[in-house]
Amino acid sequence: MTECPREAEVFEAVAFGRWPAHAGADLQAHVAGCPVCRDVADVAPALHGDRQALMRASHPPTAGVVWWRATIRARAEATRTAMQPITLWQGIAAASIVGVVAALGGSLWEWSRTADRIGGLVTLLASRDAASLASFGFEHAALVLLVVVTCLVLAPVALYLALSDD
Amino acid sequence: MRDMTLTGLERLDAGAADADATFQMDEDAFRLFYDRTARPVWAYLARMTGDPRLADDLLQEAYYRFLRARATHDDDAHRRNYLFRIATNLAHDVRRRPRLDAAALADTDSAGDAADPRSGDVAADTARRLDLARAMSRLKPRERDLLWLAYAQGSSHGEIAETLGLKTSSIKMLLFRARRRLAALLRERAR
Repeated sequence: MTECPREAEVFEAVAFGRWPAHAGADLQAHVAGCPVCRDVADVAPALHGDRQALMRASHPPTAGVVWWRATIRARAEATRTAMQPITLWQGIAAASIVGVVAALGGSLWEWSRTADRIGGLVTLLASRDAASLASFGFEHAALVLLVVVTCLVLAPVALYLALSDD
Repeated sequence: MRDMTLTGLERLDAGAADADATFQMDEDAFRLFYDRTARPVWAYLARMTGDPRLADDLLQEAYYRFLRARATHDDDAHRRNYLFRIATNLAHDVRRRPRLDAAALADTDSAGDAADPRSGDVAADTARRLDLARAMSRLKPRERDLLWLAYAQGSSHGEIAETLGLKTSSIKMLLFRARRRLAALLRERAR
């Protein structure tokens, strides 16, 4: 048996301070013979009394103090949250700068190694040989793509940094 | 980090001032709600953690989380259950720390103002509460929650289910087992 129809009656007697002295003889007799209600009669007064004692002993801060602390904390969190996008954009900008410097360095290195090709390009342009020109462009497509992508990334970042203080 | 301009700081300050608006109730409503619930929530936290000082901290934290929550509440009972749910989660987090000292809370409670003035038997009352604290400390956390909410707080099965995030249909059996265990422990101590 896990429940008894008179369980609530026993708890009510405990909660209203009638148990055991002012509970009816009928209920007391029932509790004596019902294991479920006996457990309730043992457990409920102990817990109920403990709660009453704890509540008497408690000295919670006033509502005003709790509200004030919560407000201060909410403001601190709001400030921290507001700072997050700025920090993020600064990180992106720094990473972009490093990337651009690396890309430019690599390009310069590549171009210095292929200076003779530049000379060749000038010759090609001068001769207006379309087929050779297309071949030269294909060979350097990756480099051109890198420069274009870098510009596309940098432009909005630069725009944001330029306008963020307005 | 880039220096912030005065305009930027003012904007942040204005944003921070809006933090008040992020609370789910205004100050007057909060005062009413707090005055009705603070002591029961504190008692619950104190018994569940076994540490009155910790209960003070958790009380503040519980109300802060409650205020910042985006939840909507149908009525005051639902609001109270939600607060108890937050308190339960906080107490569960604390349980992962070193085990509570059951005697500490009973000692604190045995101060003169904590004794029931009607009982006239402070020593017996303190002994009973010490027995309860020790017996409770031997139960599983979920069993403690269930028993407190049912028999100290007087919550219905539906309210307990809402607070603990359980199915209402399972409360009866869980409560029966927890009650049987605590009753056995209390009888064992009474002998």
